[in-house]
Amino acid sequence: MLFSSLSFLFYFLPALSIVYFISPKPMKNTVLLLFSLCFYGWGEPKYLALMITTVLTGYVGAILIEKFRDKKLSKVFLSLSSVIILSFLLYFKYANFFVENFSRVTGIEVKALNVVLPIGISFYTFQILSYVIDVYRGDVKSQKNPLTLATYVALFPQLIAGPIVRYSDVESSLISRTHSFEKISEGFRRFIVGLSKKIIVANTLGELCEVFYQSQDKSVLFFWLYAIAYMLQIYFDFSGYSDMAIGLGKFFGFDFMENFNYPFISSSITEFWRRWHISLGSWFRDYVYIPMGGSRVGRKKLIINILTIWCLTGFWHGAAWNFVIWGLFFALLLMIEKLWLKEWLKKSPVAGRIYTLFFVIISFVIFSGLSASDIFMKLKGMFAISEIPFISDEFIYYFKSYFAVLLIAVIGATPLFKSFKECLYKKRFTKVIMEFFEIPVLLILLVICVSYLVDGSFNPFLYFRF
Amino acid sequence: MKIKNIISTLLFSTIFISVFFICIFKTDSEFSLSERRALAQMPELSAESVMSGTFMENFESYTQDQFPLRDIFRSYKAFFVQKILGKYENNGLYYQDGHISKMDDDENPYMTNYAAELFTKIYDTNIKGKNSKVYLSVIPDKNFILSPKNGYPCLDYDEFIKNFKESLPFMEYIEIRDLLSLDDYYKTDSHWRQEKIVDIAKRYLEKMGNSSVGDFEENVLDNPFYGVYAGQYGLKTKPDTIKYLTNDVLKSCTVTYYNDMGKPIENSMYDMEKAYGKDPYELFLSGTQALIEIKNPNAKSHEELVIFRDSFGSSLAPLMAESYSKITLVDIRYIQSSFIANFVDFSNKDILFMYSTALLNNSLSMK
Repeated sequence: MLFSSLSFLFYFLPALSIVYFISPKPMKNTVLLLFSLCFYGWGEPKYLALMITTVLTGYVGAILIEKFRDKKLSKVFLSLSSVIILSFLLYFKYANFFVENFSRVTGIEVKALNVVLPIGISFYTFQILSYVIDVYRGDVKSQKNPLTLATYVALFPQLIAGPIVRYSDVESSLISRTHSFEKISEGFRRFIVGLSKKIIVANTLGELCEVFYQSQDKSVLFFWLYAIAYMLQIYFDFSGYSDMAIGLGKFFGFDFMENFNYPFISSSITEFWRRWHISLGSWFRDYVYIPMGGSRVGRKKLIINILTIWCLTGFWHGAAWNFVIWGLFFALLLMIEKLWLKEWLKKSPVAGRIYTLFFVIISFVIFSGLSASDIFMKLKGMFAISEIPFISDEFIYYFKSYFAVLLIAVIGATPLFKSFKECLYKKRFTKVIMEFFEIPVLLILLVICVSYLVDGSFNPFLYFRF
Repeated sequence: MKIKNIISTLLFSTIFISVFFICIFKTDSEFSLSERRALAQMPELSAESVMSGTFMENFESYTQDQFPLRDIFRSYKAFFVQKILGKYENNGLYYQDGHISKMDDDENPYMTNYAAELFTKIYDTNIKGKNSKVYLSVIPDKNFILSPKNGYPCLDYDEFIKNFKESLPFMEYIEIRDLLSLDDYYKTDSHWRQEKIVDIAKRYLEKMGNSSVGDFEENVLDNPFYGVYAGQYGLKTKPDTIKYLTNDVLKSCTVTYYNDMGKPIENSMYDMEKAYGKDPYELFLSGTQALIEIKNPNAKSHEELVIFRDSFGSSLAPLMAESYSKITLVDIRYIQSSFIANFVDFSNKDILFMYSTALLNNSLSMK
C-alpha cells in the first residue's frame, strides 16, 4: 500500500487511528503490529511469512547471543543469524542477477529463477541486522517479547522505504510512549508536507521524465532537462516518503531519524552523502565501514574500504550493474576527494557546490539507466556526442510547461524556504501571521493532493524497488 | 501554539475520519457521465482475490472512482495544474483558441504497421481482383491545425500520411487536410461537425468519380453537447451545438444495422434517442455499430460504396448517401475483418478506408 493512495489516506489510516487511540495502552503495540502486517500484506500477502521468519530469526538470534555473551557461541549465533537473515535478501533480491550473469559469463544456460523482489526487504533486513549486531555489541538488550520486536520491524511507516530505524532509537518508545496534540499535530504537518512533495512535485517531474523517454525529438538541452528532473524527482519522491514516514511515526508516538538534509547544497560528495539517505549512509558507516577500520588506515586499506562500502551501497539499491557502477562512481569521487581535493573543496565552497551538483546529476543518470547502452545514450546526449540538435521544439515546450514545478523543486531542494520561515518566526507580527496561515495552507495542500489522487494521476514510487 | 496544535489535530482527524465513514456508507455510482465510462465497483473479497492481489488492485481503482465529490476534486486538480502551476495541459488535454484538444502521441510504428498490414490483408483476402476501386483517406486530428501555430508538440502528419501511402500502394489516397479548418471540429470533442464537412464529402465523391451531393437543410439539436474532452479536461467549458443535415433524399433512405447475431434492425439516419443519451454524437448512425447499410431508393445509379471507418464516418456517410444506391459501413473494431466477406460483397464497388490518425496510431482495437 502506498501512503500516497486514497486507500491508505481514507481507509487504512482512519481505521487504524480509531482502533489505536481507543485501545488501552498495553494493546497499542499489538494493534500497530496487526495493522502493519495488513499494510504489508496489502501489497505482498505471500511475503508476510518471509518477513515474520526474518523477525523470528533476529529474535531468537539476539536472545542466544545475549545468553552466551562473552563466550565463543555468542559470535557463532551472531554469524548464524546474520547469515540466515542476509541469505533471504541475497536470494530474493540477487538470485536472478547472479544466475543471469553466471550464464552470461560461462555460457552455460541456467534456467531463470524469476524470483520476485518482496517489497521493503532491503529495509527491514538492515533493521533486524542492526538489532542483532547491537545486541552482540551490548549496545541494546535483547527484546524478550517477540511482538514488540515484530512491531519494531513491521512498523508500517518505515517498513517498506525507511528511514532505516535502529532498534536503539525506538526501544524506549516501543515500551512506553506519549501521545500529545503537539506530536499528532506535528505528525499531520510533516505527513502533508511529504505527501505534497511526493504528489505535486515528484510525480509531476516523473511525468516529465516519462515524456522525455517517449519523445522522438530529443536534443542536448532535453537530455539535461531530463537528468535534472530525474534527480529532483528521486529526491522529492524519497524525501517526501521519509517525511510521511517521520510524520506518521510522530502521530503514533515515535521519533524517527531524519533521512535527508538538503543534499543538493553540499560542497563535496562526502558532504552529499552525509545529507542524502542519512539512515542508509550511517548504517553502512556503523556496521561495515568503521568495523573495517574506517578512514584511519593506510592509503591502500582506505581505498579498499571505500570501494567495498560503495560497491555494497550501489548493490543495496538494486541487483543490476548500473547500481554497482553508480556506487563505484561515488567511490572514485570520494577517493579523489579524500586523497587530493579535500583542502581545495574547503577553500572554494561555491566551486565545490558546482562540482558536487554536476557529478550528482551524472550519478543519477547512471542510477536511472535501464542498461549500459541506455546510460551511454543519455551521457552522449548530454555532452552532445550524438547527432542531435542542441535545442528542440519539444524541449522548449516541456521546459515552459514544467517550469513552475521545476522552479518549486529547485527552491524546495534548498533551505531557502526554511530560512525564510525562520526569519519570519523571529518577528512577533509575522510569526502570528505564519501561525494563522499554517493550517489553511496545509488544508489546501491536502485538498490538492487528494484531487491528484482522485484524478488517477501518475503515481509511481521509485524506492519500492530497493 | 497549544491551541493551534489542538485545532490542527481535531481538524485533520475529523477530515480523515469523516471521509472514511462517507466512503463506507456512500452509495456507489455506476457510471460517470462526465468521463463517459463505467466506474469501478467494490471488488469481490475472497481468499483467492486477496492472495493473488487482484482485490487490492481493484480496490485502489474502486476508491478512486467512487470517491465523494469526485468531479469537483478532478476540477480542482485541473485548475491547480493549469492555472497555478501553469502547465500547458492536464492529462494530455489542452485548451487553445476555444477548443479542447488532446495532445498527439508520436507516431507509433508498431501500431501504424499493424493497421497497414491489416488493411492489406483485408484487401488481399476480400477485394483484390474484384474490379473494385480502393481509396484511402486519413482524417487528421484537430491538432494538425492547433499544435503548430501554438507550439504544442504534435504528430508529423506529412510523414504519417506518407508512410501509409507507401505501405498501401494499391489504394488511391484522397487528401482532405486542405479542406479542414479548426472551425470544422467541435470545440469539446475530437470529431468533426457534420454541417462543416459537406466539402469533404464532395471531395471524396469527386475523387471516386461519382456525382456530387445536393443541398441540405440544417437542423439544430436542442441538447447541449459536451464532447468527450469536456469531461476529461476537468475544467468547466461551454457546450457545443450539434447540427445535422437532412434533405428529401436522405429522408427516403433506409438504414439497417446488424446486431451481434447478424440480425438486421431497421433504424434511421439520425437516432434521436441517442441524441439525448450519454453521447449526443451517437445521433449519427447510432454511434458504434459493426455493420450498417444505407439504401437509397432514389439513387440515379446502381453504384455501391463500402466504407471501412471509425466514428468520423458516422457523420460523413449520410452526406454521400445521395450518390450511391447503397453504402455499407464496416467498423472492424466491432467485427472481425475475417468475417466481413460473409456479410459484404466487394465486387464492382467503390471502397473507401477512412480512419482518424488517433485510431491508426493506436490500432490494436481493429481486428
